[in-house]
Amino acid sequence: MAEPARARTSRPRRRSAAAWALAPAWIVVVVAYLGTMAWTVVISFTPSKLLPVYTFVGFDQYARLFTSDRWQVSLWHLLIFGVLFIACCLVTGFLLAVALDQKVRFENTFRTIFLYPYSMSFIVTGLIWQWLMNPGLGIQNTVRGWGWQGFTFDWAVNSRMAVFALVIAAVWQASGLVMALMLAGLRGVDAELWKAARVDGIPAWRVYVSIILPILAPTIATATVLLSIAVIKVYDLVVALTNGGPGTSSEMPAKFIMDNLGFRQNIGLATSAATVMLITVVCLVTPWLYRTYFRSQAGRT
Amino acid sequence: MLASSRALAVGMLAGLAFAGSALAQDKPRAEVMHWWTSGGESAAVKVLAEQYTKAGGEWVDAAIAGGEAARAAAINRIVGGKPPTASQFNTGKQFDDLVTQGLLNTLDEVAEQGKWKSFLPPSFVDAASRDGHFYAVPINVHGQNWAFYSKPVLDKAGVTAVPKTWDEFFAAMDKIKAAGLIPIAQGGQPWQERILFNVVLLSVGKDVYNKIYVERSADAVKSPEFRKAVEIYGRMRDYVDPGSPGRNWNDATALLITGKAGVQFMGDWAKGEFKAAGKVADQDFYCQVGLDGTDLMIGGDVFVFPKTSDPGQVKAQTLLASTMLTPETQLLFNIQKGSMPVRGDVDAGKLDACAQKGMKLLADPAHQTAVSDMLISADLTGSLQDVLTNFWNDKGQSVDDLLAKFAAALQSGD
Amino acid sequence: MAAVAFPAEARGPRPRRLTAGRIGLYAFLLAAAAFFLLPVVVMVLTSLKTMDEIRQGQIFALPQAFDTSAWSTAWSSACTGLACEGIRVGFWNSVRILAPSVVLSIAIGAINGYALSLWNVRYANLLFAILLIGAFIPYQVFIYPLVRLSSAAQIFATLPCIVLVHTIFGMPYMTLIFRNYYAGLPPELFKAARVDGGGFWRIFLHVMLPMSTPILIVAVILQVTGIWNDFILGLTFAGSANNPMTVQLNNVVNSTTGERAYNVDMAATLLTAAVPLFVYFVSGRWFVRGIAAGAVKG
Repeated sequence: MAEPARARTSRPRRRSAAAWALAPAWIVVVVAYLGTMAWTVVISFTPSKLLPVYTFVGFDQYARLFTSDRWQVSLWHLLIFGVLFIACCLVTGFLLAVALDQKVRFENTFRTIFLYPYSMSFIVTGLIWQWLMNPGLGIQNTVRGWGWQGFTFDWAVNSRMAVFALVIAAVWQASGLVMALMLAGLRGVDAELWKAARVDGIPAWRVYVSIILPILAPTIATATVLLSIAVIKVYDLVVALTNGGPGTSSEMPAKFIMDNLGFRQNIGLATSAATVMLITVVCLVTPWLYRTYFRSQAGRT
Repeated sequence: MLASSRALAVGMLAGLAFAGSALAQDKPRAEVMHWWTSGGESAAVKVLAEQYTKAGGEWVDAAIAGGEAARAAAINRIVGGKPPTASQFNTGKQFDDLVTQGLLNTLDEVAEQGKWKSFLPPSFVDAASRDGHFYAVPINVHGQNWAFYSKPVLDKAGVTAVPKTWDEFFAAMDKIKAAGLIPIAQGGQPWQERILFNVVLLSVGKDVYNKIYVERSADAVKSPEFRKAVEIYGRMRDYVDPGSPGRNWNDATALLITGKAGVQFMGDWAKGEFKAAGKVADQDFYCQVGLDGTDLMIGGDVFVFPKTSDPGQVKAQTLLASTMLTPETQLLFNIQKGSMPVRGDVDAGKLDACAQKGMKLLADPAHQTAVSDMLISADLTGSLQDVLTNFWNDKGQSVDDLLAKFAAALQSGD
Repeated sequence: MAAVAFPAEARGPRPRRLTAGRIGLYAFLLAAAAFFLLPVVVMVLTSLKTMDEIRQGQIFALPQAFDTSAWSTAWSSACTGLACEGIRVGFWNSVRILAPSVVLSIAIGAINGYALSLWNVRYANLLFAILLIGAFIPYQVFIYPLVRLSSAAQIFATLPCIVLVHTIFGMPYMTLIFRNYYAGLPPELFKAARVDGGGFWRIFLHVMLPMSTPILIVAVILQVTGIWNDFILGLTFAGSANNPMTVQLNNVVNSTTGERAYNVDMAATLLTAAVPLFVYFVSGRWFVRGIAAGAVKG
């Protein structure tokens, strides 16, 4: 990440104003981010229960963490949820954006309808969908009332489907954002390209698949990153929709951390889980960060 | 930027004015954090608030729905140096760390004056004190192993008497099922599934219950009594409606009140819901301790008083602690809450029929057992709870699966 | 790819007359709209029903008589613990938290983004990288240490405390979108301003800020919805005198006696969601244009 020497030598006085302007950011980064991360790592090597103590027990908490059934299923659920959620959001968002880009009537109305769930908190989203997927009150009961007795839609209370219930609710909330990103990307595509494709007689769907999608690659990458942030942090939605149940069939790592920080009074274990998440995130994010923001930086500014 | 700094200034001024007005009043002002927000619970808090006001204090209510959220908020405020005057906890090990880190005020003086040791049950003196000092006020005794039966549902299903054995119990459940109603109203949250198991375990083998939760004996898990308890627990899964997962305990009680379900195993706080709905014990519903009325599983709520150097707050804490244990407060509070007074010298005749049954058992230590969370840490409680909730919600799990996992969890953690 | 240059018109293939494809397209859009609208429609319908009607379990049925009492109960008389004042108290608390937090977090984000994108500052990349990694970490991890820090600073459980916390947690994303936006502007603008002898703050205030409207709108939308919807930070850092609306919503929804008052729950939920919903309905159009400029790398 070395900066080019020539850039550093120019106009030192003005750059100092820029450096001062970043002082609040530095304070936040050092104190609130790095400081708390370091603290988290330190506590993960202690036997702390409700409150931190500073006697050290080595990797005991980590050993316990990785023999914990609940932690293992949490990771597994996060993987299933993450893959499905990101895939469904990208596909739905892309299709909606393409559909809206066909000079349709009421485009603004449709766009608002697709986007508004993104304004809801996950707590609200969870409550709504919990209700809709409750077998006694929600869609299932209504459809059966219409005379379709065999109809079943009980995902929120079915241990085999609970993770998918989370996916539905999360896709409902977030695919509008992907739509917005993709739509903006589509509007940036050169009009000449469409003309050329039409002259050559290439069918529209092929243009989308083989030409437009590659052009949208940066947009897709951005959307994936934004969605990944939501995946790793998923907590509120789980609490509001399934509370990790039935049983532990929809537990997630962030909830594991919270439960151990809170009710279970086990912050040593909680911080070891947090440290594992932290390391995973750093390993996953750093290559992307480097590729997107830093590799080509030398040539700019 | 301008708007922001102005808003900040306004906020800070408001904060100062707030603090100023609090100082100006000479009434001891007590901010009390608790999670009592359901109907019966708020009625009970109201009694506390009124009694405290009558004693010359000013009650500031800080209710947060959900015990976990409320306790987390309280702990954060204690650690953050802005503690509430008093904060609710469950009897047991939840506040151990607060004591060891010196974050709570002792109540020895108030306890001495009020002669707490003369009327509190010995197990509660132990639960409220550490190293011989009082750190908490036990405010009530909750029986956690009550079975509530809906009379209209039993009548409709043709069940003539409250079952006394597990065979009778399942026969009754079959009849309710045949009548097209829900046999067991179960709140589908892990802590409720844990309580249900403990109720069954205590009724099948009191010795085994104690060996497991007091001695943490893995051998006890291999005993025939434990196996029988697991079998009964497993069989109960077939008598619960599909809407159970995630359900709150009071929503399950509502199923009994509205005549949709037959029985609920729950702590005596559920009585508060019957009371709020105008239902009377022995007329609209039956209550039974455990299955056959022999052993009462007791726990309770306590209030702790975070350390503070503000003399006004110390005054408020002292006044609040003594108010909570007067015979009058104890009686009025527990009538609303559905629990039992912590002192035996109140007029039990004014309590409801169920509480009177409980008081009889409470008078004799041979018929009492502590709830599991008084005996084991929150951490271990959580690990065992994971095992139980997985078994309860996955009918594919066999009795042997549970036995193995339960024994393993008992050894892990501490 | 600067936002200002976006064509507002759709660029897909031109529509022909009413063909099977066109019908399919509208069928798809309508089906999708139904999926997105369904939950809120059900909530609105339910909030206008009486409990007797709700018990019949027909969630799509229209209310027999429009009964708005659930709305007034939720707003002004639903109980949370001893207080039966509805969620209106929380509404004003949320407003008091929201206004300074939004202004402060956007101001700092904009300055960060500007300094990082257009000026060569030492270790800027390092700063930016840590901020971005911070965006991924579940904020539960930060809560406890921040409680200790803010209490050491003697501001714990006050309004300034929660404002500061929102600013800290908003910083990575705000910095990211402003940085990308400014990096996407034509570089000649900045170069010309520097040749004219403009300093750091002068260029920011007189050249950059006037051009920042699209991204400012996006930032306002994101921060208003994010901060308004927050539950756990408000509960932890605001102090009980400033509990935001979401905390009271949780109290109302989780404290019903006996049978759950679904109509009141739904009305309370909709009231809580009203502010972000309003912001989206009013400014959704600018959001779509602005977000690409900020979120996609310039």
